[in-house]
Amino acid sequence: MIEVQGLSKSYGQTLAVDDLSFGVRPGVVTGFLGPNGAGKTTSMRMILGLDRPTAGRALIGGRPYVELADPLRQVGALLDAHAVHGGRTARGHLRWLAHSNGLPDSRVDAVLDQVGLAEVARKRIKGFSLGMRQRLGVAGALLGDPPVLLLDEPVNGLDPEGIRWIRTLLRGLAAEGRAVLVSSHLMTEMALTADHLVVIGRGRLLADASTAEFIDRHGRTRVRVRAVDPDKLSALLRGPGSDLTAEPAEGGAWEVTGAEPERIAALAAANGVVLYEIAVQRDSLEEAFMRMTADSVEYRAVAA
Amino acid sequence: MTTTTLAGPRATAPARRKAAVLHAEWTKLTTLRSLWTTPLIGVLLTVGIAYAVNDAYGATDTSLTEDPSIGIYYGLNFGQVAAACFGILLIGQEYNAGTIRTSLTAVPARGRLFGAKLLLGGGIGLLAGLLSTAGSYLAAGATVDLALDSPATVRSIVAGVLYHPLLVILCLGATTMLRNLTAAMGLLSPMVFLGTTVLAAVPGVREAAQFLPDRAGQYALRHQDTAGIHYGHWTGLLIMALWAGAAAYGGLRSLRRHDA
Repeated sequence: MIEVQGLSKSYGQTLAVDDLSFGVRPGVVTGFLGPNGAGKTTSMRMILGLDRPTAGRALIGGRPYVELADPLRQVGALLDAHAVHGGRTARGHLRWLAHSNGLPDSRVDAVLDQVGLAEVARKRIKGFSLGMRQRLGVAGALLGDPPVLLLDEPVNGLDPEGIRWIRTLLRGLAAEGRAVLVSSHLMTEMALTADHLVVIGRGRLLADASTAEFIDRHGRTRVRVRAVDPDKLSALLRGPGSDLTAEPAEGGAWEVTGAEPERIAALAAANGVVLYEIAVQRDSLEEAFMRMTADSVEYRAVAA
Repeated sequence: MTTTTLAGPRATAPARRKAAVLHAEWTKLTTLRSLWTTPLIGVLLTVGIAYAVNDAYGATDTSLTEDPSIGIYYGLNFGQVAAACFGILLIGQEYNAGTIRTSLTAVPARGRLFGAKLLLGGGIGLLAGLLSTAGSYLAAGATVDLALDSPATVRSIVAGVLYHPLLVILCLGATTMLRNLTAAMGLLSPMVFLGTTVLAAVPGVREAAQFLPDRAGQYALRHQDTAGIHYGHWTGLLIMALWAGAAAYGGLRSLRRHDA
């Protein structure tokens, strides 16, 4: 649904986005991940035709955004929840937005209901909390019932309930068959929300993979073991005949890399070591991300 | 998803889309009190002050000694500040609040968005011009014996009506070139309010200052000729229109060229 092809943007000497290519498919939530200043917002602005790329292009359903007829019916976007005039009511803000694309006022009331702002619809936005503004921004994105959604940091500044609401909403929208691109620098949240990840750093594409693949490829898998007799376990794991890599962890446990839990258990049994804990531990998305960016030579080269 | 039902039968012709953008601009105006009250204040100021001045000087008939248009349009000196503010606010508040990005996401055709703003600003300006000018003449009618069918009076009335929309378009265009509400307020409102009047009082600068938009536009209001002005009354109105047109063109170029 969204195809980004060789997109680049430079501001003078600074290259904000560097030859970025990726796709966003319908039916899944695609997380657009990267540290602050990685170029996520600039990329999204170029997709929406707000900023002109230095090179490359972004297509939505095969066409550049600026050529879409009634774009709100095809793409819903939330860029900045603060970009509203505080003097308007929530309903007033959504009404002009709806009218610009020939959408009826009934859609305004429907989305206000959907995001839970129906009761404050006629209140001025200047009294709204950040969470309410984010909801209003999401309402604006949903106005045209679009098959494609682009949200820039929608969970920023939300309380746990709001974060959960966004997560459920985005997963629901993707389940309806929409293409959802959501940017964030919050890894733990993305791990829960996104099925697919597009990771960028310093404007360059670092990874384009499903969330599970990404963690498999860049994270470590360790087996955590604890024995009744830690010394015997230590001797077994780090002894001269062992080909395992083991590092001590807290509570007398050991973290073993390079072996399946079955093999460790068999080895322990054969040597009379009694285990009372054996568990596979995978890196979190955040750990995988940190390892990948640390490994990435290009990333380090530009970051330095 | 109801996307197909929404996008399908209502699929849009360019004319309907242009009307939709104008509708959206109208909704922006009516949903923001600080915006729609501005032209209203302009009319009230223009007419109110014209009335007060003519009421205060009612005993003296100045029509023989002085150009009567000075008294009739006295309120315009104040009311025009509101007209200028209206033009500035029409797009300036979008830059200030950041809604310009939302607007351009909803209407990516930048010329169409700017055209709708020009049309709305010009239309509201014209309405304000009609009300202000009619009100000013009515307020002055009691004290000045005017021949309403004389060419000078007709020209002054036409110029009085058109002065408002031209000023709105000028300020709208200039603000779009500046892309900043505060800068536009800082630059345009003192210029309109006192800058060019002060400049016109300096002998050396007067020659050039008479070609500034508000000076030229206001010369078209005068019933009598003024010595030292290098153009005619109608030409004065044309000079102001050229300024407004140039500002509108500059605003369109700026909106098209720059990243939002």
